[in-house]
Amino acid sequence: MTDSDQQGSEPVDVDRQTEHGPAGREMTGGQRRAERRAAVALAVAIVAGIGLFVVYFAGGQTQIEGVLFAIAFGGLGVSLGLWANHLLDAREVVEERHELSSGAAGRQAFEMALTEEVGPVLGRRSMLVKLLAGAGGALGLALLLPVLSLGPAPGRSLFVTPWARGKRVVDENGEPVTVDTVPEDGFLTVFPEGAEGAADAQALLIHVRPGSLRLPPERMAGVPEGTLVAYSKICTHAGCPVGLYRADNQSLICPCHQSQFDVADAGKPFFGPAARPLPQLPLGVDEEGVLVAQGDFTEPVGPAFWNRGRK
Amino acid sequence: MSMVVERSLKYLDERLGTSSLARATLRKVFPDHWSFLLGEIALFSLVVLIFTGTFLIFFYTPSIQEVVYDGPYAPLQGEHVSAAYDSVLRLSFEVRAGLLMRQTHHWAALVFVAAIVIHLCRIFFTGAFRRPREVNWLIGIGLLLLALGEGFTGYSLPDDLLSGVGLRIFYSVTLAIPVVGTWVTYLLFGGEFPAPDMISRLFVFHILLIPALLLALVFVHIAILVLQKHTQFPGHGRTERNVVGKRFWPEQTFKSVSLLLFVTAVLALLGGLAQINPVWQYGPFVAWNVTSPAQPDWYIGFLDGALRLGPPWDLTLWGFTISEVFWPAILFPGIAFGILTLWPWIERRFTRDRAEHHLLDRPRDTPVRTGIGAAGLMVFFIMFLEGGNDIFGVLLNVPVETITRILQWSLLIAPIVTFLVTHWICKGLSRTRLRPARINAGVRLSRTPDGGYETVSLDPAAADGERAPAPTGPHTG
Repeated sequence: MTDSDQQGSEPVDVDRQTEHGPAGREMTGGQRRAERRAAVALAVAIVAGIGLFVVYFAGGQTQIEGVLFAIAFGGLGVSLGLWANHLLDAREVVEERHELSSGAAGRQAFEMALTEEVGPVLGRRSMLVKLLAGAGGALGLALLLPVLSLGPAPGRSLFVTPWARGKRVVDENGEPVTVDTVPEDGFLTVFPEGAEGAADAQALLIHVRPGSLRLPPERMAGVPEGTLVAYSKICTHAGCPVGLYRADNQSLICPCHQSQFDVADAGKPFFGPAARPLPQLPLGVDEEGVLVAQGDFTEPVGPAFWNRGRK
Repeated sequence: MSMVVERSLKYLDERLGTSSLARATLRKVFPDHWSFLLGEIALFSLVVLIFTGTFLIFFYTPSIQEVVYDGPYAPLQGEHVSAAYDSVLRLSFEVRAGLLMRQTHHWAALVFVAAIVIHLCRIFFTGAFRRPREVNWLIGIGLLLLALGEGFTGYSLPDDLLSGVGLRIFYSVTLAIPVVGTWVTYLLFGGEFPAPDMISRLFVFHILLIPALLLALVFVHIAILVLQKHTQFPGHGRTERNVVGKRFWPEQTFKSVSLLLFVTAVLALLGGLAQINPVWQYGPFVAWNVTSPAQPDWYIGFLDGALRLGPPWDLTLWGFTISEVFWPAILFPGIAFGILTLWPWIERRFTRDRAEHHLLDRPRDTPVRTGIGAAGLMVFFIMFLEGGNDIFGVLLNVPVETITRILQWSLLIAPIVTFLVTHWICKGLSRTRLRPARINAGVRLSRTPDGGYETVSLDPAAADGERAPAPTGPHTG
């Protein structure tokens, strides 16, 4: 790659040094000072280097190690910097640029080589060349097949969660959640029994103020006592857990991008980048007072994907 | 020269012909300007990244296998965490120099991307991408994108709560790719989030695939630079046909090695003293938990901000959905990086300038390009600010909603204003013909026998009478 110089002419030296004489002459005061400073910097670097041994074998200490490394590298850097600026016979030189292209003649010669040497070899066997391209293409595509093994086919996995009719509602530790578990204005992250911690099943059970919900009757049927409503905890925007609840205006806030959802109004977004409401989890109560699911969420949970509308 | 050196040089030269190549390298000329060192800072950060990163690999476990933490960090003792998170805690608290290496690695990554971005700005605003350097411009953009990918995969490896949520967002973004999003996401992650193979795959990307590409492209980037020779600012004796500067040996070598040492020193100091990514404070990743506030590393900030600014518009066509995430996180970066990538050709369409350029533009002399560049930076800056809207909300005691609304309007207005103001400033500077103060290396001031002063040009061209001697010192010509 450095054969570039062979085409351009040799660099021309231009002595532009004005303050310090060229090599061989007496050192100026500035140079003597620079040399002294460089020597001090190197001495400091040596001390810091020894210090690193001491600190390491004494058990190590992050802050001191960082500082000593910085002093050692910095000392070396200072000395080389002083050397570069004061102690070199610094000369500015002029190098001619070379022509980057091979020129018209060079290109023509290559074209000739192509037509005379490549063309005849391949041109005579045009059927074989076509088959060769076909074989290469087929093999190339076949070689991509193992890539498909990297992931399962999506199938219906994004449409369903472990929630199903009759699944008992539990908290993250598997404790059953009853109608009395969550006090008014409180909320709790819940899972279906047997799938505690399942990422796509996470739901928020919120105890809203009586009479505050504005849901259509068929959705209201999934709200025990008229106050215990559950929504998917996965933000419909970019999938973060919607972890903040403001009881004063009964809204859920996603801390990632600040989408805000109206709990009273069917989980509809009213500020921020989210476009779709949080899917509701229809709940009921079993004979022991434990909350149970009436089925899966009302819609696919989480962020949008291409075929989410095609159930 | 000693016999051993002489004989080994002869041995190599007879077999590989290295001597003339080595001599040419030693004599190579590098123009001198502080802004030419920005790319070197990126390169040297990469050197630090490779050394510290290699150390980290020996201690990191790329697995989400659940283990019980029993190390010295008391608040997490007895917690169920992934093997990956556990290994990062052990590396940080129990391996000597482990925390220093980890923090230096993280700081080096932040500086690496920053140096690339500032280097890119230098190339853009001085027109260094023009013919014949378009190919290296493309490689440079590729390096920037790889660096972003390398950074994101890297800080996701500890499997902590903050990065886990970031990964969840990235998953949602790939899911939003029209038509093939679901398939691409499942192939990439190995299934529905959080897939068991996720962390081990990130590891493969972070320590093998991306670094291999990155290093290959860095090599080509530098090889092309050497082949085409460096650009230079206009000045005495500098023309489109030459390179004026210092030789590779000794001046440039001393300077570059010195810079390498300084970069390493600063990164070690940061790594030792400035805490970064304290994953034990964020806690292990748990799918139903989230940190607040939640900010990514600085270079992903614009994307997170774009997601916060984005309009709540999803689109359903024939039953198929285009997510609201598509506009800010796929379309916007696609267009922005598309324009950036094609800039040399876009500009050429308007300037019709097909000539080779080795002398750099000063930004003020190209007010339209400078204005567009400044406007583009403003777009990214507004998105970056929005990425911290929750923090600014707390700091300024202003609702985040207000900040978001202000920044949404700014996004429409500020780039235009930025363009106009930048253009106006450039025009004004051009008119005043002020030049930055610089020491004129081509002239010597000397005392005459009668006590006066005279300037003597050291420029060969001027000495030949082709050009008048220039005035000394800071000048306004």
